[in-house]
Amino acid sequence: MERNKFYKRLFEIIPGLLTWLTLGGLFMLAFVRPLWVAIFVITFDLYWVIRISYLSLLLLLAYRRLEREKKIDWLKRCAELKPPDGLYYKDIYHAVLFPAYREGLDILVPSISSLENANYPKDRMIVVISVEERAGQKAWDDVSSLKERYKDKFLQFIVTRHPDNIPGEVKVKGANATWGAKELKYFLDSKKINYSNVIISCFDADTCAEKEYFGCLAYHYITNPKRMQSSYQPIPVYNNNVWHARSIARLLELGSSFMQMIETMRLEKFVTFSSHSMSFKTLVDVGYWPVDMISDDSVIYWKCFLYFNGAYNVTPMYVTVSMDVATDKGIIPTIIKQYKQKRRWAWGIENFPYVMMGFRENKNIPMLVKMRRAFNILESHYTWAVWAIIITFIAPLPLIFGGGLFRQTAIGYNLPGVSATLFNISLFTIFVCIFITIRLLPPRPKDVKRSKVFVMIIQWFLSPLVAAVLGSTPAVDAQTRLMLGKYMHFYVTEKSRKK
Amino acid sequence: MKDNDRLKRAIAFYFSVALFFTLLPILLSYSLGYKIDYKKFKIYKTGILYLNSTPAGASIYINGKLHTDLTPARIEELKPGSYNIEVKREGFYAWEKELTVRPNMVTKADGIVLFPMTQDLKRIVKYPIYDFVISDNKNRIYYMTGSGIFESNMDGSAVKKISPYSDWPRRIIGRKFSPDGTRLLYFNEYVVHLIYLNVDKSEAVSEDKAIVEQILISEYPIIDLFWYAGSNYIIVVSEKDISVLELLGGGRRNVALVYKFNTRPSNVYYDYSNNSLYFTDEKRELGLKEGNRLYRLDLSQSFFNKMLKFLMKMEAKKGHGEK
Repeated sequence: MERNKFYKRLFEIIPGLLTWLTLGGLFMLAFVRPLWVAIFVITFDLYWVIRISYLSLLLLLAYRRLEREKKIDWLKRCAELKPPDGLYYKDIYHAVLFPAYREGLDILVPSISSLENANYPKDRMIVVISVEERAGQKAWDDVSSLKERYKDKFLQFIVTRHPDNIPGEVKVKGANATWGAKELKYFLDSKKINYSNVIISCFDADTCAEKEYFGCLAYHYITNPKRMQSSYQPIPVYNNNVWHARSIARLLELGSSFMQMIETMRLEKFVTFSSHSMSFKTLVDVGYWPVDMISDDSVIYWKCFLYFNGAYNVTPMYVTVSMDVATDKGIIPTIIKQYKQKRRWAWGIENFPYVMMGFRENKNIPMLVKMRRAFNILESHYTWAVWAIIITFIAPLPLIFGGGLFRQTAIGYNLPGVSATLFNISLFTIFVCIFITIRLLPPRPKDVKRSKVFVMIIQWFLSPLVAAVLGSTPAVDAQTRLMLGKYMHFYVTEKSRKK
Repeated sequence: MKDNDRLKRAIAFYFSVALFFTLLPILLSYSLGYKIDYKKFKIYKTGILYLNSTPAGASIYINGKLHTDLTPARIEELKPGSYNIEVKREGFYAWEKELTVRPNMVTKADGIVLFPMTQDLKRIVKYPIYDFVISDNKNRIYYMTGSGIFESNMDGSAVKKISPYSDWPRRIIGRKFSPDGTRLLYFNEYVVHLIYLNVDKSEAVSEDKAIVEQILISEYPIIDLFWYAGSNYIIVVSEKDISVLELLGGGRRNVALVYKFNTRPSNVYYDYSNNSLYFTDEKRELGLKEGNRLYRLDLSQSFFNKMLKFLMKMEAKKGHGEK
């Protein structure tokens, strides 16, 4: 037991320690060995330019795929399928779970309406809204009113209240989602519906699904021979309030949306994120979402990965689910909100000790697979935490602290020019982002001026500045907290839409 | 993922890796100042020469050979050693220097000024002048001429005669504006003129904007003058002594002898911030000359007290005489 505690702490410390050793080491070396730091900075800059060029290409490939698959009538395809194992789409039920807190009706109604507007037969759709008891009576009254409004529109519309202080639980979304899933289980048991035929989608309260979403999901589920051993990940876009959001918030959310599109092209690293779907049977088998961890969306993937001894993957679906940009009226409150949201995402580093502890216990996963997956988690979070700081703040240090002699050396003289050239080359990726932003934008609302389209384009030129401020700092914050054992609490990103 | 996309991704990935490992040595060697000779598979240490001139756009000659770039230019991949550098531009004097290029280092010559062969010479005034003075705030020129004092803007425009005075002393050694800029001390070794500038017309006896007054004819050669107590006194440093001359009021001016030199001072400096006069004088003890020492004379408040006592004594003496 003590040994386990030791290893868990060790794995909690490693990411933060690596990040701080890198940043602190480079800072110190800038004084004593500016030449080494300059060589590192040039190497890193080149690596970064090539990396983002490569990722931009993947983004374009993913976008092209999205465009192509958008035109598919998935439901028709489902109907035409003749699955070898006899699972027909008419046997499949979709359960959509919304763990909610204090999101008002203005947030929840559009989400439920999107389900109502989906082209999947509603008599095979179940909606579950699980609201936190601590959210108060108003929140409960709101979801109860939704039940009245929608109870006849779906096979079942379940509303439930997740009590506080259940032993073993902490105040995280996963605990609420688990409670909702258990309520769903009671219903399925009462109707004797086979769990294998139920696909559960865990959506954020503001998630609006596309019309084709459930048809597409059913198609991928039916055609996957190992359907139980896969999660199904749509592409999250932040279109709900994108026209009304602050540029800084829009940039960050679009950036994360693009990262998700890129991830769909890198299946060996692909992990569930935010709103996702999976077999209900698998969910029950693995013991639901974690009830004591913040990053429930990714931990559920790792739970399944360990449960199936590494034989678990994420199937990308090229359909979008739309969510809200975390924005506010003022710039500073928006930055704070974005910072907190990104820090919560960066807290996904808690997956590392979880996975490493799981790997220690699980002897059936091949060592090579363990090493590769552990490296993937560590590398992605480490890069997240250091890249913007290295490019923005570490790069000029050799010139500042290196002294006159260093500035007289060829590398001291060349460093600003080489860095600037590489930075300028990297700016071409902005044009890729602009192109995809314009293509993915929802129609302009009537209350938004035409000139806002221009803002949507030029906002991307702010990205180096936004990256410098919010690119790495939330990740450093999250990793440092984990390293010091100061565990984070779940922060609910307040949703606000222009009425 | 479709196999086609998977293939594209694999190609892109391996291409990126290959590109990184190909570009890295090239980029680092360039940054560090190395040159790769791909034919001989050798790496050489080189240095960089950076030249910039005012005006820019000058031709560069390295060991007599014309370089393709004009200034400002960064000449790379130079083998370490000495180079004869010439920077030339038509209409300007050439700049030439022997510069040493060191391995992996930058040799900079970025402050080269090329002087034009034909100077931009403009005659400010058309008539003959004896002398001129430029105001401390550098917005007026005053001309001492045979027909009076003139003033103009700094470019020579708006010339105005401000006084008919023309009896100027020769061999002027000092021109000093008072701190408030309203008066000018104009002096040679023996004669001190005080010029009142911008005279208020209501107070002036004539229409002149300036009044010239000869305020002192010194017994000994004057070394320097300094304004003291605003613009009301001047400190007169001659070869023999230091005295203070009162400028206030009309009639006879009070003069206070402050110090007598043993020998002519080699240098005199007045520090306006703390009202102290620094000077050299010979130390003499028991009639023996012991060489020069540096002295500081405090002319602040304590000096005023001494001055007051002195004046009172003078007044008392005058009173006794009258009796």
